[in-house]
Amino acid sequence: MEGKRSCLSSSIPSDLLRRIRKLTLSILTNLSNGQSPVVQIDRFRNYCTETSGNCYCNCGISVGKELLTLQRECHTRRLDVLLRVLLVVQTLLQQNRHGSKRDIYYMHPTVFKEQSVVDRAINDICILLQCSRHNLNVVSVGNGMVMGWLKFSEAGRKFDCINNPNTAYPVPVHVEDVEIDIIGVARYILVVEKESVFQRLANDSFCTRNRCIVVTGRGYPDVPTRRFLRLLIEKLHLPAYCLVDCDPYGIDILTTYRFGSMQMAYDAKFLCVPEIRWLGVFPSEVEKYCLPQHCLLPLTREDKTRVEAMLLRCYLRREAPQWRFELDLLLARGLKCEIEALSVQSLSFLSEEYLPSKIRGGVYI
Amino acid sequence: MEELCKSSIFFSDQSLCYADILSPPEVRARIEVAVLNFLKVLNAPTPEISDLPLISRKSSNSRVSRGLLTDVSWIFLSQSFCKRSLMRENTAKSFVRVWMVMKMCYQILLQEKRVTQRELFYKLLCDSPDYFPSQLQVNGTIQDLVALLRCSRFSLGIMASGRGAVAGRLLLQEPNKEAVDCSTCGSSGYAISGDLNLLEKLIMKTDARYIIVVEKHAIFQRLAEDCVFNQIPSILITAKGYPDIATRFFLHRMSRAFPEMPILGLVDWNPAGLAILCTYKFGSIGMGLEAYRYACNVKWLGMRMDDISQLVPEESLINLKPKDLQIAKSLLSSDVLQDSYKEELATMVESGRRAEIEALYFHGYEFLGKYLATKIVQANYI
Repeated sequence: MEGKRSCLSSSIPSDLLRRIRKLTLSILTNLSNGQSPVVQIDRFRNYCTETSGNCYCNCGISVGKELLTLQRECHTRRLDVLLRVLLVVQTLLQQNRHGSKRDIYYMHPTVFKEQSVVDRAINDICILLQCSRHNLNVVSVGNGMVMGWLKFSEAGRKFDCINNPNTAYPVPVHVEDVEIDIIGVARYILVVEKESVFQRLANDSFCTRNRCIVVTGRGYPDVPTRRFLRLLIEKLHLPAYCLVDCDPYGIDILTTYRFGSMQMAYDAKFLCVPEIRWLGVFPSEVEKYCLPQHCLLPLTREDKTRVEAMLLRCYLRREAPQWRFELDLLLARGLKCEIEALSVQSLSFLSEEYLPSKIRGGVYI
Repeated sequence: MEELCKSSIFFSDQSLCYADILSPPEVRARIEVAVLNFLKVLNAPTPEISDLPLISRKSSNSRVSRGLLTDVSWIFLSQSFCKRSLMRENTAKSFVRVWMVMKMCYQILLQEKRVTQRELFYKLLCDSPDYFPSQLQVNGTIQDLVALLRCSRFSLGIMASGRGAVAGRLLLQEPNKEAVDCSTCGSSGYAISGDLNLLEKLIMKTDARYIIVVEKHAIFQRLAEDCVFNQIPSILITAKGYPDIATRFFLHRMSRAFPEMPILGLVDWNPAGLAILCTYKFGSIGMGLEAYRYACNVKWLGMRMDDISQLVPEESLINLKPKDLQIAKSLLSSDVLQDSYKEELATMVESGRRAEIEALYFHGYEFLGKYLATKIVQANYI
């Protein structure tokens, strides 16, 4: 179970149930032979801090293995938890139901004792069975919103966003059941970090005058939002631009969209959007747009630590040197600013001038 | 009889202070009047700088109105004022802030636009950095302005996001648009817009027998996915935590459109859950001038202490945090709670424990639906 992850066949649940049986059988065989089972769990990383550039981060290639055996007590506990969670997952698949990580925790609270234990077991199972979390029928609440020139259906239900281009629709949670209506009317996808910016665009009827699709994850994007964005790009082949605050959190969210998160590193292939481009706000354009001095707040100590840590990430050096340059500038200047600073002089500046001119002029990195 | 019901709030109404929902020209007119009054006093033979009389938003000024002929009670703010004066050192800055936000809102309304609170912060920050060091001052001053001009926050041009969602046996139709069937909206449901004008115009039709208010998004999603509203003909609604005005407005509209339908609340067994239930039920002090009108007779379905003792294993209980105890204390001290609620709250505090609805999954996945159905059929709600 190393290296590239094998594709799942179309009948995913039965495929997974087979893999679960196979895994259990191998553990049982070992036990009945009087041996300790050895469960090998690959480790994945979406970045490291090596400067050589010769790492295998974020390629779907494992960077090491953990070997769990019954010879160590902590491993025994981990295996116990893993098998119990696996049993719940098997029931979910057999009954075609969905559950959340929290629900699973409550099924055996005495054994699990803490939510984080369940979370880790689910990650381990995904790695062992070489699948994504949603394949296990483990889901979370959806937090994303979408609006604009789009039509899609989720399990047969139609969502004609195009009829109300300035109304927000929730991003569907079961992205595997989504079919995008390929009508090719939208020209690009705009991803915004914050809900308040999404509201501003809706209020300004941005999508009426600009043929695009606007998506927000309302902060750090959850798994359904990231999968939905990937699906949009795969099906519609549109450019994707990201609008975030010019501060460490904003840029971290940007990197999450493009390179994925460490937590879900094992599933990076299906969750990253390498095509996404940083539209704004750049530290280097703060002067160009004459943002008022008062809107530029100083970086806190915590902000500076975050930026320094981000600068060490291997993927920035390798794949996004321009982003790295802007991050350096952010640190050097010691000032951050939010997107709302653009609305200070004129509320419609963002929708009527900044965004259209940047997109038309191709000013993104 | 209907006349009697409508007039039953007549006497309590007289001490009730409320914020009107006004159109932009009406709000601008009130601002102009405020300015003219101020100038008039300044220009008088014995000139003075008027104080700003703001309706006090402290619990000491809150009252409870108990419906005379209906079951609905609500919290409202009464006639006690607190004055912001330029003459006193500790209120001078907040006095100035109110005028600054008033000016900003006036300009925005003139442009026929809306702002988010964050955008307002940045505008004020650039305009007068000494007065608005953080978002907190802006939010507080907006509430002051609501209390001064007696118009809703939405009327001032502040954009409100809708956080709520609804699913189930409900047909919603915006005028001149196609009807939306909330039972086929998927597990996320139909998103409730933040625009109260839009919500006002929705036409609602239903064949449900109950409205179930769900505290948490995760539970709402689970129930919507399992189509629980088909097994028990119902409408599910959630605001994903403390309800925003739009969700409460929507719930209130439903309760007016379908007066015979019981509204049942499903919250975690902890003080915060009860506080959320009470916000739907009575309104809140923080938004006391606006919230009272959307109070609904929500009954407490679950989780309650009998459920905890019978259905939740000891290990699934979590300790109460200091914040929970604070919420419990403030709820117990308000005189809006009925005795049965106070008893439940006292049990929570005494045991020092709380439980989430998810704890019911101990009994398997099917259990939550069965639990709801049983309780509803037995009319086990308070």
